[in-house]
Amino acid sequence: MGRTAAYFLAQLKRAARLLPGQLLADIAVCFCAGVFACLLIAQGALAAEGTRYRIGMVGDLSDSYLGFGIAAVQKMDDSRFMIELVSMSEQEAETAWRRGEVYAVMRVPEGLMESIVYGENDKLVTYTAAQGQQGLGTMVMGEITDVASTLVTCSQSAIYAMQRVLADQGRGEEIGRETDKLNLALINLVLSRSGFGEVEVLGYGDGLSLELYYFCGMILLFLLLSGLLNSALFVHGNGAFSCFLKARGVGALRQILGEYLAYLLLVLAGLLVLCLPLGFGLVRGHLGIPEWEGMGAAPFLAFVPVLFPVAAMFASLQFFLFEAGDGIVNGILLQLICGIGMGYLSGLFYPSAFFPEKMRVLGACLPSGAAVRFAQAGALGKIPAAAWAAVFVWLAVFLGLTTLVRWRRMQ
Amino acid sequence: MDVEVTGIKKAYARKKVLTDISFSLEAGSCAAVLGSNGSGKSTLLSILAGVRKADGGSFLYRGTDLLREPGQIPKVLGYVPQGDPLMEELDAWDNLRMWYDRGTLKRELSEGALKLLGIDRFLRTPVRRMSGGMKKRLSIGCAVVSRPGILVLDEPSAALDPVCKENIRQFLDVYRREGGIVLMATHDAQDLELCNACYILKDGRLHLWQYDGDFHRLTEAL
Repeated sequence: MGRTAAYFLAQLKRAARLLPGQLLADIAVCFCAGVFACLLIAQGALAAEGTRYRIGMVGDLSDSYLGFGIAAVQKMDDSRFMIELVSMSEQEAETAWRRGEVYAVMRVPEGLMESIVYGENDKLVTYTAAQGQQGLGTMVMGEITDVASTLVTCSQSAIYAMQRVLADQGRGEEIGRETDKLNLALINLVLSRSGFGEVEVLGYGDGLSLELYYFCGMILLFLLLSGLLNSALFVHGNGAFSCFLKARGVGALRQILGEYLAYLLLVLAGLLVLCLPLGFGLVRGHLGIPEWEGMGAAPFLAFVPVLFPVAAMFASLQFFLFEAGDGIVNGILLQLICGIGMGYLSGLFYPSAFFPEKMRVLGACLPSGAAVRFAQAGALGKIPAAAWAAVFVWLAVFLGLTTLVRWRRMQ
Repeated sequence: MDVEVTGIKKAYARKKVLTDISFSLEAGSCAAVLGSNGSGKSTLLSILAGVRKADGGSFLYRGTDLLREPGQIPKVLGYVPQGDPLMEELDAWDNLRMWYDRGTLKRELSEGALKLLGIDRFLRTPVRRMSGGMKKRLSIGCAVVSRPGILVLDEPSAALDPVCKENIRQFLDVYRREGGIVLMATHDAQDLELCNACYILKDGRLHLWQYDGDFHRLTEAL
């Protein structure tokens, strides 16, 4: 039996001794992550059912037209699922806004309706939101205000024009009836706008649904940080042992290969521990992934082997960090910093499409970026050659660097 | 002479650690290398063991230059570094199995070098629960797997109790009397009683030093 094989077997024995502890740690992490995910899902469901943007309505709301409009929006329009308009005093609105109970405050100036009736445009509805809230919601509200303003102005112009025409034609008795008809027609136009457009969601990454995107992301994050769980293998790092091995003819590369393969088995064992509850959740329908819906466990079972090359690459990265860290504490700190940093840049926390171009490019070039592309392509069932190449190049680079560090240390 | 070391040089960046190391040893001899901390003793021993590369020189063992043929080193030389080259999670048996095949290991434990070292008495003890003496004996046991002609030890008796030191010295004495060559770096006066040659490593050079039982003279020499 070759010395490298004997060394690998010894490392395997070490890993086997440490395996029960590692598996317990893996199970504990999976359990905590599962509870956290369940809470998030439950919170998300509650939010979807019950949370709406609350907007405080302040000012002159006494006009019956305005009251009718607000009531129509709140009871009949599709926007009632997103926006809740709450009438309140100026003082109440200020307090609620400071406490974060309302998303924004809309002020209706006194005499707004009279101004509109007389065709004047000197009274403005003001919409106030906090600086930090100037996101998509504020933009949408701005657009809605513009649309409402246009609708009111144009419809009012139409009504005045119609009234003028009827008066000129001596049909004054019809003005009231025709105004009501036109008002109803305009309201009908506004209220039936749900069929006006269609929203199409293209998905994230390689066209994945949000669910599958985060499913891949969470598994990759687990793999990326699994070095923290498997650090026990590096606790008794021993420079004398490396020198002894070299003297017995086991050089740096063969040492690294023997140790790395044993470490990889620990990482894969952790991955399988994670996959068990995920597979169970998929089969039982707790994790609804649109791409795999109605296909049972088959797509997931096909996906798990896809993760092995990624696990091997991440294991080589972790191995390098522990070797370069020169000590267990440094190694763990490096794992944490690199894992979280790389995970963030490569879109494991937020879809990378949200990031600026330069950050996206950087994230894609990192090992974690290569892993994301590989896993996402694997989830859809087809991995391009470039993704394979990227993963194996990083794997070779990290093993090469680790060997270099070991060799340098022995010298 | 069985061992002839000539002109070994080693420098780290610009610092010359070994400038011209030459000495020779014959079968059955024991030599000690003495020197202050950082003088280059461990560097010299690790070069001879094939761990570090020398910048120049030769290390002949029975006509073969081991620095040019490093693949021969594991066959003829056993090396015990300063720390213990052991896997803490495994027991003595598993550590030895890395180097010995099963049959040889059983034989060595019942009547060979491992028996002499007393390893058979703590064969199933995990390394993390062993005393310093047990670890050192096990380290030597791992190093002598190929029944090497040369045994190189880096401070074999450092931080050991007198009983362990004596046990290791007895082993080294038997090894030497059976024709082995022992080369050790040491700071221990009792180790010198075992040696028939003592060298002081100073300013990158090796100087022969006559040990007359007065260890205090050594401090002056260093």
